[in-house]
Amino acid sequence: MSAGDGMTTTRRGDALAAARYLAPAALVLVGLLGYPMYQLVLISFYDYGQEQASAGAPLTFIGFDNYQRLFSEPQFWGVLGQTVAFAAACVAGTLLVGGALAVLASRVRAVPRTLLFLAALGAWATPAVAGSTVWLFLFDADLGLVNEVLVGLGIHDMAGYSWTYDKLVAFALVAGEVIWCSFPFVMVTLYAGIRAIPAEVLEAATLDGASTWRATRSVVLPLLRPLIAVATIQSIIWDFKLFTQIYVMTGGGGVAGQNLVLNVYAYQQAFAASDYGLGSAIGVVMTVVLLVVTLFYLRALRRRGEELA
Amino acid sequence: MALTGGADTTARKAKWWFVNAVVVVYALVPVLWIASLSFKTKETINDGNFVPREWTLENYRAIFGTSEFVRALVNSIGIALIATAIAVVLGTMAAYAIARLDFPGKRALVGVSLLIAMFPQVSLVSPLFEMERGLGLFDTWPGLILPYITFALPLAIYTLSAFFREIPWELEKAAKMDGATPAQAFLKVIAPLAAPGVFTTAILVFIFCWNDFLFAISLTSTERSRTVPAALSFFTGSSQFEDPTGTICAAAVVITVPIILFVLFFQRRIVAGLTSGAVKG
Repeated sequence: MSAGDGMTTTRRGDALAAARYLAPAALVLVGLLGYPMYQLVLISFYDYGQEQASAGAPLTFIGFDNYQRLFSEPQFWGVLGQTVAFAAACVAGTLLVGGALAVLASRVRAVPRTLLFLAALGAWATPAVAGSTVWLFLFDADLGLVNEVLVGLGIHDMAGYSWTYDKLVAFALVAGEVIWCSFPFVMVTLYAGIRAIPAEVLEAATLDGASTWRATRSVVLPLLRPLIAVATIQSIIWDFKLFTQIYVMTGGGGVAGQNLVLNVYAYQQAFAASDYGLGSAIGVVMTVVLLVVTLFYLRALRRRGEELA
Repeated sequence: MALTGGADTTARKAKWWFVNAVVVVYALVPVLWIASLSFKTKETINDGNFVPREWTLENYRAIFGTSEFVRALVNSIGIALIATAIAVVLGTMAAYAIARLDFPGKRALVGVSLLIAMFPQVSLVSPLFEMERGLGLFDTWPGLILPYITFALPLAIYTLSAFFREIPWELEKAAKMDGATPAQAFLKVIAPLAAPGVFTTAILVFIFCWNDFLFAISLTSTERSRTVPAALSFFTGSSQFEDPTGTICAAAVVITVPIILFVLFFQRRIVAGLTSGAVKG
């Protein structure tokens, strides 16, 4: 009884102290995130264009009109579809490259491993704008290193080949850059996971006559599954939010907007077309989608017994 | 038997080395290529040579000769440092509470901070644009620092609470029993244990602010507060008569090299920070 009371008082004392420690962060987040979020939802219900933003024209409440306009717009569905497909391709590529390299890193000796990590961290650390710019230069139609090397190898058709003109090729190019700067995270995470597997487990599998492939599939993969889930969802969340790479590499969405993804689309609607109402509606839709993905992420974390706090 | 085993390992070793080499090329070529371009003269920039035939600092002289770039660099450094400092201080306080204290809603709190970290930044661009114009913060340092803090804070809280969870807090009590004052116990025992985590978080947050492009192009309009990533995108169209490739590369090198050096120098800690959220222990 008294022990229980003691617990409650500590808890209450803790809660008070916690409130003091958390207040500044909470204040910042409510003011700088909560309020703009409220604004976002609000703007999405108004006809909010250039006149309203700069000339102070009166606002008209239009309810769900922006959403209706958005959902009846074929371009929106097209962009949504290619955002999902593009993000999926980037996630798959990132996991494949990152996972293979994590295995590689756990197999090689210290020197090549260090080399591998240094190269990976270099790619990871390059700012997205700089990375996108370099990739554009590398793949430049007339002056790029890649075309030059390909021509040098005897593939003369590649002289002056534009990597950003065709929709799929342009997406592939951007995906190449995205995977380049995001595989290091997956590699580092999975490498740490592989190192955490006790050597005896693998030894036992080998003693039982399992081949390397078999041991990887039946022992390593199941042990890594929760980590792979976390890395996957984190990659989904990143790749769904891509902005810089598409914006820089395809010049704001590609020829006639063929390479738009949701993030760039929202930005173009709000800023280039000065339709802040519609832009906000896209923002709300994106937020809802990511919210759902994040909830799955939290569930994946909980399922593997990871204590969040 | 042993012989085939040996041959197998040699072949496999060769295969691993090959894959390793391909990856290193994939990861390094873009970085090296941009560095190479930045040292080439205008005449040789299109020669396709990997190593410049004629080395020149012309491009660097050109960008550091313009107020456009120098100002952007100052903006980048100042804004990223201030935002990092504030986010880390606030994040440390919150993470300390999460790691040390027991209060209702604690689990939900980390979940919420994770949720915010996942929030699509682009959604906030139009409302922030509106608010900042109303408050006169548009195109100012605080106009960028504030959103950076917002998005860096959840990252800081999440990473820091993962680090703080591993600190043996009983040591503080032990120090107090040995006669240390609370301040001494904190400064001499806990602070040194917490410092690596705080430091790692600061690096991650700094990189986040330094690399941002979206807020930088939408919440600034002049040299007054434009950061390097945003300035870089304006270089492209600066003049149609002069090929800006060399200067763009030089600018990209200037913003990339400090971060790469930073990361390579502190790689162990950064790897720990990256995996802290994902790997236990």
